[in-house]
Amino acid sequence: MAAHPRRRPKTVRIFVAGATSMVLATALAACGGGSLSSESSSGGGDSVKIGLVVPASGVYEPLGIDMTRGFELYLEQHSGELGGREIEVVEADEGEGPDTGVPATTKLITQDRVQAVVGLVNSATALGVKETVVSSEVPLIVANAGADDLADGSEYVWRTSFSNGAVGESLGATVAEEVGDAPVYVMAADYAAGAESIAGFKKSFEAAGGTIAGESLTPFGTTSDYQPYLSKAQNSGAGAIYAFYAGAEAVSFVKQYKAFGLSESVQLYGAGFLTEGGVLAAQGQDALGVKTALHYSSLLDTTENQEFVEAYTEAYDAPPTAYAVQAYDAAAVLDAALEGAEGTDGAAIAAAIGELGEIASPRGPWSFDDDHNPAQPYFLREVQDVDGTLGNAVVNQLNE
Amino acid sequence: MGWLDANLISILNGVALAALLFMIAVGLSLVFGTMDVLNLAHGAISLAGAYVGVAMLDPGGGLGDFLVAVLAAAALGLVLGAALATMTSVVTSHLRQALLTLGIALIAAAVLTEIFGADVESVPAPSGLAGSVDLLGKQYPLYRLVVIGIAVLIALVLYVVLERTSVGAIVRATVADRGMVEALGIRSSLVLAGVFGFGAALASVGGLLAGPVLGAQPGLDNTVLLLALVVVVIGGLGSIRGALLGALLVGQVQTLGVSLLPEQASFLLFGAMALVLLLRPQGLLPARTATGAHS
Repeated sequence: MAAHPRRRPKTVRIFVAGATSMVLATALAACGGGSLSSESSSGGGDSVKIGLVVPASGVYEPLGIDMTRGFELYLEQHSGELGGREIEVVEADEGEGPDTGVPATTKLITQDRVQAVVGLVNSATALGVKETVVSSEVPLIVANAGADDLADGSEYVWRTSFSNGAVGESLGATVAEEVGDAPVYVMAADYAAGAESIAGFKKSFEAAGGTIAGESLTPFGTTSDYQPYLSKAQNSGAGAIYAFYAGAEAVSFVKQYKAFGLSESVQLYGAGFLTEGGVLAAQGQDALGVKTALHYSSLLDTTENQEFVEAYTEAYDAPPTAYAVQAYDAAAVLDAALEGAEGTDGAAIAAAIGELGEIASPRGPWSFDDDHNPAQPYFLREVQDVDGTLGNAVVNQLNE
Repeated sequence: MGWLDANLISILNGVALAALLFMIAVGLSLVFGTMDVLNLAHGAISLAGAYVGVAMLDPGGGLGDFLVAVLAAAALGLVLGAALATMTSVVTSHLRQALLTLGIALIAAAVLTEIFGADVESVPAPSGLAGSVDLLGKQYPLYRLVVIGIAVLIALVLYVVLERTSVGAIVRATVADRGMVEALGIRSSLVLAGVFGFGAALASVGGLLAGPVLGAQPGLDNTVLLLALVVVVIGGLGSIRGALLGALLVGQVQTLGVSLLPEQASFLLFGAMALVLLLRPQGLLPARTATGAHS
């Protein structure tokens, strides 16, 4: 065919195309994986990169805010160093679920090359990245996600928060004692966390001689009216309700529990998330008298906690929540681990975490158990008016 | 009757929910039915009204404060509606209107989260109405009963205005034959902007009135929009009676239906909508006159 007079020879075109793509690839690699921190050390020397992945958007954003604050407060109190080494925090947005959370965490590990990952609110996300952290040899310190199976002793997965079943289980014996002969109606949102919480509660409650009046699993995320279920609970003759709800559902549930008159005749017990953090502020007076079990309360009366609450309130103008403590303790774990670690790569840090003893914490001293969950105190809390503000007053410790 | 006694509260709750849904959805139905504009920002406007309540009301506040907040929400809705009317007047395809209004909804939701934060907020009911009354031996929140009354009032007022006043006649005429109305010297673009603004004002006030029941939080705009769309699809476009019937049906499905069929709770609403679409696709009570200016 006739050659076009202005077309370059084939070899030149290939060369130009190749050179352009190489230049582009180099440019992209240079600006990709941007760290939000101003210094960008390549990991050499004393500096250690920690990835902090929490929700910065969506339904769980309030928890993400608390967790970031807890982590950063610890860093601030230790001049930005953990284990004597300078820390560079790379933040990522977990979003609402694994669709956003798994890529965000994977990016921290593969692109930003962090030496440890802290955070994760959503259990599905945490389960989704488990394989990646193990194969990349980067320790993951879960600072919230509560799925029972998440921490199973795998050497790269550690948890500073809780497991859903354990929280529910801690309350069973006390409830059995307080209701006496009356049966208890059990309610939760219909997803893994709700089911695990109820299962844990039923285990210890029935073992202590309690009877279940009935059970309702409400559609997760789409239920705004709990009246049909509350009516069922009332008609079943139950003396108390055990409920697992968090976030907006907890607000609606507790407010309706009061509005439909159940607060007069049926005591409400729940996992602590029912009245923790911003949720309590939204519930207001409707939450008075609700009893919950959790591993922390901002009103815990120990010197360690009082100092923590003071520092947190001064820094952020709001009381700390369990979510903040979980992230604060994650920083404490890294501090102790880096102190004793033989190197700063992920494998060395993971090994060092395994050697840790007791961690001092605002919730009280705790240590990792065989599954890498915290072996920790659980407290019975009751919503009371303390000096004009509503809070979860600690009644007593539930386990040993 | 034993059955009625056990479920009366659920039925009543369904009517209260229907009242809230009617107030929010009627604006959407009228705008879509008369102006043929698909406004996906409707949920965001409703949420903005709820946040007006968060900003202006304190627990223990009286009826006067609440009425002021209602007026503020209505004013906000009018402004937003008029703005939306101007923006959508140049866009005629439904898909483009949907994309435009959806984009506005996303921006509005992000702005609201930026101003008010991501936490769940509650809107307090006026102190005189915040308690519960004894209804056949069971406690029922007084505020929800009042909301039912307000919705009935709004429905009556809307009916009278549209059917019996000259303003309503102008609106109906603009819908039926825009050219003729222009020929009579009435600026039809102003009329349509007015309808849009009024529909948005209703949504905003509806969101505020729903505040003590539904709260205010990021994501609520999507929930409300979805419910409003289902009400409009089931009830039929462009008619007040359709919105009322649709709202009553949706309200009962979400309360009595969930109570009677808890296992199928997640599917009931959309099952009902699918059923209506199969048997009567134009909705149960659509407007009698031809809709909008589309060809």
